[in-house]
Amino acid sequence: MSETRRERFCGSPEHALDRRRFLGTLAAGAAAFAADMTVLEVLKQPVIAQELKSQQKRVILLWLAGGSSQLETWDPKPGASTGGPFRAIPTSVPGIHISELMPKMAQRMEHTTIIRSLNTKNGDHGGGARLMMRGRMDDPSLRYPDLGAVLARELGQAHSAVPDYVSFYSATEGRDFAPDTAGFLGSRYAPMELTKTLMPENIRRPEGLSELDHAQRAELRELMSKRFARGRVSTDLGAHNEAYQRVRGLMASEKLFDLAQEPQKIRDEYGPTQFGEQALIARRLAEAGVPFVRVGRAWWDSHGQNFETHQEMVPELDHVMATLLDDLKRRGMLDSTLVITLAEFGRTPSINPSLGRDHFASAWSATLSGCGIKGGSVYGKTDALGQSVVDGEVGAAELFATIYKALGINPQKNYRVGSRPVPLTEPGTEPIETVLA
Amino acid sequence: MADTRETLKLVKDLSRKEIVFALAHLPGSSRFVFGGSDSMVYDVDLASAKPEPRSLGSHDSYVTGLAIAQRRAISGSYDGRLIWWDLDYQERLFTVEAHARWIRDVAASSDGKTVASVADDMVCRVWDAETGEKRFELRGHEAVTPHHFPSMLYACAFSPDGRYLASGDKVGHVVIWDLTTGQAAGTLEVPTMYTWDPSQRRHSIGGIRSLAFSPDGNRLAIGGMGKVGNIDHLEGLARVEIFDWRKAERSHEYAGDTFKGLVERLVFLASGDRLLAVGGTNDGFLMLFDLSQKSAKLQEKIGFHVHDAVVGDASNSIFLAGHGKLAEYELKV
Repeated sequence: MSETRRERFCGSPEHALDRRRFLGTLAAGAAAFAADMTVLEVLKQPVIAQELKSQQKRVILLWLAGGSSQLETWDPKPGASTGGPFRAIPTSVPGIHISELMPKMAQRMEHTTIIRSLNTKNGDHGGGARLMMRGRMDDPSLRYPDLGAVLARELGQAHSAVPDYVSFYSATEGRDFAPDTAGFLGSRYAPMELTKTLMPENIRRPEGLSELDHAQRAELRELMSKRFARGRVSTDLGAHNEAYQRVRGLMASEKLFDLAQEPQKIRDEYGPTQFGEQALIARRLAEAGVPFVRVGRAWWDSHGQNFETHQEMVPELDHVMATLLDDLKRRGMLDSTLVITLAEFGRTPSINPSLGRDHFASAWSATLSGCGIKGGSVYGKTDALGQSVVDGEVGAAELFATIYKALGINPQKNYRVGSRPVPLTEPGTEPIETVLA
Repeated sequence: MADTRETLKLVKDLSRKEIVFALAHLPGSSRFVFGGSDSMVYDVDLASAKPEPRSLGSHDSYVTGLAIAQRRAISGSYDGRLIWWDLDYQERLFTVEAHARWIRDVAASSDGKTVASVADDMVCRVWDAETGEKRFELRGHEAVTPHHFPSMLYACAFSPDGRYLASGDKVGHVVIWDLTTGQAAGTLEVPTMYTWDPSQRRHSIGGIRSLAFSPDGNRLAIGGMGKVGNIDHLEGLARVEIFDWRKAERSHEYAGDTFKGLVERLVFLASGDRLLAVGGTNDGFLMLFDLSQKSAKLQEKIGFHVHDAVVGDASNSIFLAGHGKLAEYELKV
């Protein structure tokens, strides 16, 4: 969408529902248009909503902070001395079995590919989290952006009024191990982080300021800004004006974070847990055009009582993930939304005397569902005890290359930091082609 | 009462590959039955110079509860089944599909006529020890915690006269059942043994892991772990509380000053004034409490996490089972 058009749009539902203009706008890149919270209502129009949903790609990352156990989720080893007490159950895809703690996902395996062969070589919370959030090891000379920032840049719209990158992480443990970061991409792609509440703080218009006053102040500021900018060429000025525009958009996005806007039936489906509520908001954000949302579910670090911890937390993951996939599918969004489950590492096959499992990065699992993915498949294999990868070993770089390609992004695309070309993934990194649709 | 100092001496131990969760003793003999993470049930004579466990058979998952009734062993497992074993003929008698979820504990009344099992379906079931027929299905524990997660029903114990049965769950709720009616005769709350972390890690740990009635049946000892700061680990202090259960009054509280971890088994010695508590974290512990002086008479580190304990016929022999080990200790006064 051109800037002129963007400026002409008044935000009223009537204009938003002019289908001819709207679809014409779509052809010119209307995802930005849809991303404006003032046109949320338009998404209730099935034809228009479908056009939008099918064009824009989005990612919802379910970040299992602390390191969930692959043996109690995606790569069970029933009967092995390391296998623990949970059984494996068949799924909707013949030949694929997952933990009995995930019966709902077992019925939906046709949407998901399991990667069972991650060997990421870093069993430290901080190092592992940075690696798996950024897809590469730290480089002292360069601050790499994380997945959210890259996708905010690649999938976001230049003049979008909504945030491009939203990150929920409510638990305090592990939050600082791998802070969301835009790295060298700069603050334009920095996340909106929600740590204390489901709704961004301080985005509401002050009670003493009427909407009219607020709008008039914005118009005055814009008028003065334009006069000031006449005859001047400055990227800082542009960024300054864009920041104000985005603030207005963020203020209008308040309802996106408001679960009360969602039918009770849908809220009930996601359930009463914080993780469920955040996943529902993530879906609302994705539907409105936010390209990347991370929902951090902490804390899985089960050094003691691993089985109790997973008995408690995996059914929640199973329920929330299954509900999210169902909801995305029902809304026609699953083909354009990639849902990822990922952590900083997995957990040891050996069971310690506290009946816990410890950090383990040598042979663990992640999943990809939806956009660009060949569902109902398993990639890679671990040995009978789950101690090492015996087939299809991949690391963080290959996983990220796969994610990028699933979203239609060239993994070898270069950014430039000064004169230095910085590829999205290291040269020679190959995506896992067999899991791509 | 003159102060006496107990000491604990290792007599013998037996290394195991599996984690041994459950141990039971055939009275009047040196035979024991045990089971654990290899899903097997074993019979062993610990008096022999080189004990050689013999397999009775297997479950389909971890064996987590064992009781002896008459000359039969009844094993319970995470597979939800109870299996009756004939110890004279070393054979499986019959299997009962007892619970829909993990069985956590099995107990038998002292007269050997009744068996009880508790499981994560949050039901306590009472069985005829001879026939395996169900006598009662006792429901008094919530299926989910106040924080919307699945709860667990960890422990059960009979009163010495067999009339009462106590059951304890994850959130610290105890029900004492009257087995003449199948109704609750009382309830107790021990919330300190359940830790929900609402901010740092957003899940829970703990629960009531052990129960024991005093020999006179008037007191109920409850074991677990105190509040935990970092719930990644079993780092709460080992905790025991004793109640006059009819009055719902706590008479003793051992909040722990030496060992961290779960109290996995409680056993009153025959005199009634000594209570044995075992459990652990990465290591194990054994504590002996003097109820009259309200103090710990003995606090010993054990080299392995102890999941179960049996006091021998003579009351000075203590048999422990746990992570990769069986061991016999002599308690000296």
